[in-house]
Amino acid sequence: MHEMALMGDILRLVEEDARSRNLRQIKQIELIVGDLSNAMPDALEMAFDVFKARGLGMLSENARLVIHREEARAKCVVCGCEYTPGHRLSICPDCSMPGGKIIAGETFKVQSYEGS
Amino acid sequence: MKINLDAEVLSDNNAAAEFNRNLFKENKTLVINLMSSPGAGKTTLLEKTIAALGKDYTIGVIEGDLATEKDAERIRALGAKAVQINTHGGCHLDARMIAKVLPELDLGEIDILFIENVGNLVCPSGYDLGQNHKVAILSVPEGNDKIPKYPVMFRRTELVVLNKIDLLPYVEFDLEMAAEDLKGINPESRLIPLSARTGEGMDEWLKWVKDAYQNLQEQ
Repeated sequence: MHEMALMGDILRLVEEDARSRNLRQIKQIELIVGDLSNAMPDALEMAFDVFKARGLGMLSENARLVIHREEARAKCVVCGCEYTPGHRLSICPDCSMPGGKIIAGETFKVQSYEGS
Repeated sequence: MKINLDAEVLSDNNAAAEFNRNLFKENKTLVINLMSSPGAGKTTLLEKTIAALGKDYTIGVIEGDLATEKDAERIRALGAKAVQINTHGGCHLDARMIAKVLPELDLGEIDILFIENVGNLVCPSGYDLGQNHKVAILSVPEGNDKIPKYPVMFRRTELVVLNKIDLLPYVEFDLEMAAEDLKGINPESRLIPLSARTGEGMDEWLKWVKDAYQNLQEQ
């Protein structure tokens, strides 16, 4: 359960930027969370609510967290096929070679925020 | 107003990891981040490694645990320098925690620094500490299904030490399946089966550490 720590990092990033723009309140934060990022969207939402309820920092009372999931995708370097990786994620479903490289699903970013 | 930030969530951690990496590089210290579930035998592996390599290399250890100094005391008893980090409930070590304790270690004197992460197969995998190598330790009683169940950990480590192979006759563990699963998740990863307790297979692990140290000195 490292989502509390991750949410702390997210809020630090956003608040630092907001302060540099003389903004006082954060109304919304949008994240991109990859399926292979090891961050759980549900736990991130819970952590966001905990921070909001504490009333510390710049989150407004009705602040929202929007999470965009990024699906895991892999591409086989042997045959070029693109696929959604299963549990042996580097095995290509088409040619069965262990040549799959992850091309999406590892992103974990703050995309944007709304402040006033 | 809407601001497009487009920032990595772990950017602070990654900056601290870069800071650590530069310090390690300046001092030519080999740094190995050891990750496993609780009870896989990280500390025992370290004890045996220090006993075997301690006369030729100066070894330091950073111990990460939720609470207590127990692991650091075990390491100090062998004459190695050990610093304990207590995370007080935190499930992983991050690069800032490492940066904070580095002044307690004389890196110029330390050839090999092991970082024993908090026992957990999930969270530690996400945090770059500035290490040269990430190693996962898995133990036979945990079962061979841990590799496909925790793909992120095994994708981000370059070596898996399979510990407690002396227990293979007593528990169900499919070694071939484990090797296949690992290859399917991370074809570049190596598997070294050993028993830290009996010493079987330890030579291959010790050679891996010595080679890694040698490669670093030649860079």
